[in-house]
Amino acid sequence: MDKLQQVNKNWIFGAATVALLFILPFVLARFGTTGEFWIWVTTEMIIMALFATSLNLILGFGGMVSFGHAAFFGVGAYTVALLMKKAGVSLILALIAAPCVAGLTAAIIGWFCVRLIGLYFAILTLAFGQLLYMIAFQWYTFTGGDDGIHGIPKPDFLGPTNYYLLCLVVFIACFLVMRMIVNSSFGLSIRLTRENLDRAKFIGINVRRYQLINFIMAGFFAGIAGGLFAELNRFAQTEFLHWSRSGDAIFACLVGGMYSFVGPAIGSSVLIFLHIVLQQIHQSLVEIWAIILGFILLGMVLFAPEGLVGLYGKITRKLKT
Amino acid sequence: MGIEFYLFLLINGLSQGMVLFIVASGLSLVFGVLRVINFAHGSLYMIGAFLAFSLSTLLPAGSIFSFLLLMLLVPLAVALLGLGLEIPLFRRIYGKEHLLQLLLTYALLLILDDACRLIWGGDIRNVARPDLLAGSIKFFDMFLPTYNVFILVVGPLIAVGLWFLLYRTRAGNLIRAAVSHPEMVGALGVNVSRVMTATFMLGCWLAGLGGVLMSALANIDLGIGMEKIIECFAVVVIGGLGSIGGALLGSLILGVGVAFIQLPLSRAAIVFPYFAMALILIIRPWGLFGKPER
Repeated sequence: MDKLQQVNKNWIFGAATVALLFILPFVLARFGTTGEFWIWVTTEMIIMALFATSLNLILGFGGMVSFGHAAFFGVGAYTVALLMKKAGVSLILALIAAPCVAGLTAAIIGWFCVRLIGLYFAILTLAFGQLLYMIAFQWYTFTGGDDGIHGIPKPDFLGPTNYYLLCLVVFIACFLVMRMIVNSSFGLSIRLTRENLDRAKFIGINVRRYQLINFIMAGFFAGIAGGLFAELNRFAQTEFLHWSRSGDAIFACLVGGMYSFVGPAIGSSVLIFLHIVLQQIHQSLVEIWAIILGFILLGMVLFAPEGLVGLYGKITRKLKT
Repeated sequence: MGIEFYLFLLINGLSQGMVLFIVASGLSLVFGVLRVINFAHGSLYMIGAFLAFSLSTLLPAGSIFSFLLLMLLVPLAVALLGLGLEIPLFRRIYGKEHLLQLLLTYALLLILDDACRLIWGGDIRNVARPDLLAGSIKFFDMFLPTYNVFILVVGPLIAVGLWFLLYRTRAGNLIRAAVSHPEMVGALGVNVSRVMTATFMLGCWLAGLGGVLMSALANIDLGIGMEKIIECFAVVVIGGLGSIGGALLGSLILGVGVAFIQLPLSRAAIVFPYFAMALILIIRPWGLFGKPER
């Protein structure tokens, strides 16, 4: 009975959050340019939350540390940029193509990577990610090299508010699909491979295939995030593929809590929010952002490895007893 | 372009490879004993290079003694910094999940790199070679830069020194024993955590030394730490994690490989380390000299 109440509570809480998120841009739109800026920021938060949640499919649930997840984000971004700028494809088609291309890339890279476990997997994903980064960096005629691709066309109907709503709808759809995956029998098997690889093999799970499928799905959703992000900024650049962006997603998972489904989305929003707040307080604080982030991470790793969600759980349990 | 040119390329590649070896052997050694891959190793190397730059502005220029003093002091300073990192931070995460270990060292990388930026700024710098090493040596009919030859002497010396330390001294016995049977070593009354701290400091010392040598070999800027850590990953993956001989082989392959590929395909040279790393990981994930993980 308690469990059921908890589930209901989660749904109610989720629905309330979604309703607030739908109202938010209309409230913000009343504040002129400041409001527009915050709409832009929240849109970025939504996209990055999707990216972090996609990473968590393999990181938190699969136990596979990938330092190359930005590769799929970047591939998605470049797909949208190239299709819209050079081929004149419409936004919707480009946004459908982005995850497909990213998923295909993930299938190729993942086929190699799932052969390895632990540290070696982490290093191989890093190597492949950087390989893609370098290719984008060097292939000047196709990707624009370190200039990137600028001036992605913007459909007329797409003001900041509409784009926010589009991202929100896509995010909610992806979020629910990923939640379904995680709670399906497939998702449970993936969690088993995280907890006990040998046992998973013993009971007849084809571990490599499961991990590969999981890897491809994570890449697929990262591609959507990348595509949305390219249209938001109206450019794609090599920095999207860089391993420091993979690092950002990993931090989001760590800060939010990688053993919970909503954790990464919360973590990434908190980090982006913190960054903006520091910027508003004083510009010099942003210049030492990496140091601040580093210390936050150190603290989380040493004292709260289960993230904000874990902390919240601990505190509520303490209050109850 | 005669044979001289290719010999010149070879010397250049080998000297780059030697610096890489000195740094990567530190990473490999630390991994072998502590089982932690230190993302911040490249940052320690960069700190070494920048410390050498700062110190060199205080010392009389051109004198070989100044440079030797740099080679003495800077690695020691980096090793002490390592001590300051190992005791409060690394000790807490031995034997924990890989993810937490990677994240901790990644956090350190962020902090150290940004600290470097605050202290030294984004300018490109280098350390002037001492007069004695600045010219070139006549080798048969060719002139080879003395400094590169100097590195080609120092690198093997370090390799032999490490081998001697690990396989011919009691300290080395303890380190190797701590790799394979830490509990047993502890049961025999050895302070294992002290062995670990000492190994970590040795790894940092090597990173610092690599930084000093690099500061006079090429230009240094804020990107060299990131660049070197990835190269180090490639080296230890090619050679096998935890193997010093493998690190030597891997470094030379990378150094010479990059130098020669640069010639026909300057663009492919940057991709080469990643490509080599991915290739080895696919066909022989434990590296040329390593052992498969149990």
